[in-house]
Amino acid sequence: MGRIISATLTRALLALLIVVALGPILWTVLGAFKELRDIVTPVPKLIFDPTLDNFATILRNPTIRDGLLHSAVVVSVSVLIGAVLGIPAAHTLARHARRYGDDVQFFVLSLRFMPPVAIAIPFIVIYLDLGIYDTLFGLILVYLVTTISTVIWLAVPAFDRVPRDIEEAAAMEGCSPLEVFWRFSLPVAAPSLFGAIVFTFVLVWNELLLALTLAAQNATLPVVAASITSLGKEVPWGVINAATVVLVVPPLVFIGLLMGLLNTSVQGGRK
Amino acid sequence: MANITCSSIVKSYGDYPVIDGLNLDIPDHEFVVFLGPSGCGKSTMLRMIAGLETVTGGRIEIGGTDVTDLPPGDRGVAMVFQSYALYPHMSVADNITFGLRRQGLPKAEIAPRLTQVADMLGLAPFLDRRPKNLSGGQQQRVAMARAMIKTPKVFLFDEPLSNLDAKLREKLRTEIRKMHLQLKTTTIFVTHDQLEAMTIADRIVLMRDGAIEQMGTPDEIFERPASHFVADFIGTPAMNFIDATIEPGHVARSGSIALSLSRDLFPGLRPGQKVELGLRPASMDLVEPGAPNAIAGRVVLVENMGAEGQVITEVDGREISFVTAQFRRVKPGDAVRFALRPDQIHAFDPVSGRSLLGA
Ligand SMILES: Nc1ncnc2c1ncn2[C@@H]1O[C@H](COP(=O)(O)OP(=O)(O)OP(=O)(O)O)[C@@H](O)[C@H]1O
Ligand SMILES: [Mg+2]
Repeated sequence: MGRIISATLTRALLALLIVVALGPILWTVLGAFKELRDIVTPVPKLIFDPTLDNFATILRNPTIRDGLLHSAVVVSVSVLIGAVLGIPAAHTLARHARRYGDDVQFFVLSLRFMPPVAIAIPFIVIYLDLGIYDTLFGLILVYLVTTISTVIWLAVPAFDRVPRDIEEAAAMEGCSPLEVFWRFSLPVAAPSLFGAIVFTFVLVWNELLLALTLAAQNATLPVVAASITSLGKEVPWGVINAATVVLVVPPLVFIGLLMGLLNTSVQGGRK
Repeated sequence: MANITCSSIVKSYGDYPVIDGLNLDIPDHEFVVFLGPSGCGKSTMLRMIAGLETVTGGRIEIGGTDVTDLPPGDRGVAMVFQSYALYPHMSVADNITFGLRRQGLPKAEIAPRLTQVADMLGLAPFLDRRPKNLSGGQQQRVAMARAMIKTPKVFLFDEPLSNLDAKLREKLRTEIRKMHLQLKTTTIFVTHDQLEAMTIADRIVLMRDGAIEQMGTPDEIFERPASHFVADFIGTPAMNFIDATIEPGHVARSGSIALSLSRDLFPGLRPGQKVELGLRPASMDLVEPGAPNAIAGRVVLVENMGAEGQVITEVDGREISFVTAQFRRVKPGDAVRFALRPDQIHAFDPVSGRSLLGA
């Protein structure tokens, strides 16, 4: 009996936490499909005539459309390169250069100690000189510092947790070091690496300050979204909600894709 | 299948040699056990033969081929790890067949071999499972199957049974032994459990501080230990050691104890010479008064071991133990007499610890 009560209480608590966590997101999503008068009514409405006008406004707006495109390009390229360079580097640190591992780990982490404001100004000057100010390439370049360092920092412990015996057993079966990495270390560490990549993705997807200072015409989505909120007195709540949804959906799609990839790669091990 | 030859193997980490000039010859088909206390270099030696560890000096040959500089996969050896090291992202069947699939063997050839080893080790019902859904004993069998299916020239086992409970350990020990009788593959098996070594080995290599202390069949090691260290390491309960002096008539005396030694085994003993006697508890037993080579003592403790019991006695202020089936007759405080045959007494040089057999 006591067990049932405590189980019920636990569930109730969990449900409450979920409502608290997801409530605002749900409200935003609902708001994105509401007309302005449904949003500003004193009595909140759960039942209403959904409209796609807000999304239409967003996607018809060239600034927002471009922002979405720029974000997609900048973030995917910088995360991809970050993963391709960072993951093998992390494996090497974890396995073959353990002596230097801690120092490198700290160095990589220390890259993130610096407040972005501090590097933003020098970067403007350097970028203007190099002629890559306000280019996607320039943004990708600064973001690489973030993505590579974050991926390394999170992936070294992931590879540390791969039992060395497994790699040695694979070597005994004739696998070259590259094969050991590709067919064993990587799939075994994949679930943790997946977390590292998602975290990195979200980090740069939401990055505002550097994007704001280093690009003008080629603004990314957070910059555009920030500018919508300062549209004046007549706040287009519906449009803002829709913009938020547009901002949040790509990371979710990305996570979904990665999950699928993870599943197939784990299956792939069995051929 | 192949013989293994290790000549003047040196392995150092930094300046400190862990293995120092070790020579070892293992004939084809033999089941050899590396035995020794923790840290003596058993695993290091095995891993150098496997190719997982480079040698600092010396050569290793397997089947007449110098493999010293070959990568592990090209040596024709298979290894079973203490942790099993199964691939967590593959099914049991894929774990077992990975090596063959990697070599590009056709499916039609792999399937019957998989069936054969799976049947042999009782793994047929588990082939589709992931390793984490198996018990420790089943995982251990998968690891063995993975090594066996490649029909290697040499099997290497590094304490493969130490994570299992006593009963399962005994069962798998027998299975490994049976498997060896059937396949006759040259095998090196590392353990620090002397009972395991005695039961499973054709030949034991007893190591100490990176060198071979003695190499021989279990009987040789047990009956003719080459040193105090070997005698102390092998046999339960542990051997009793007594410092004694040789008296005329080939008798070793220590306080009230006087034991006559075999002239054939120890022809070189001189009166006045100091020796260290080694008396195995298991070779001594209760005797009637007047029996030769008897030791008189007072019982301190009786330990029941089931069919037999260990009786710990006090003799001249030091403890000597022996094993008897009649342990239920004695109790603490009793005066007892126990004896052993002269040819069962071991004698060592008290300084060097070497056996005085034949000296
Ligand atoms: N990577 C290493 N770096 C430095 N010293 C090492 C290294 N690996 C092993 N050693 C040392 O080498 C010696 C032998 O180690 P080894 O693992 O071969 O012992 P072992 O006989 O297998 O012991 P156990 O029964 O505990 O497994 C030990 O003193 C150990 O400290
Ligand atoms: Mg070991």
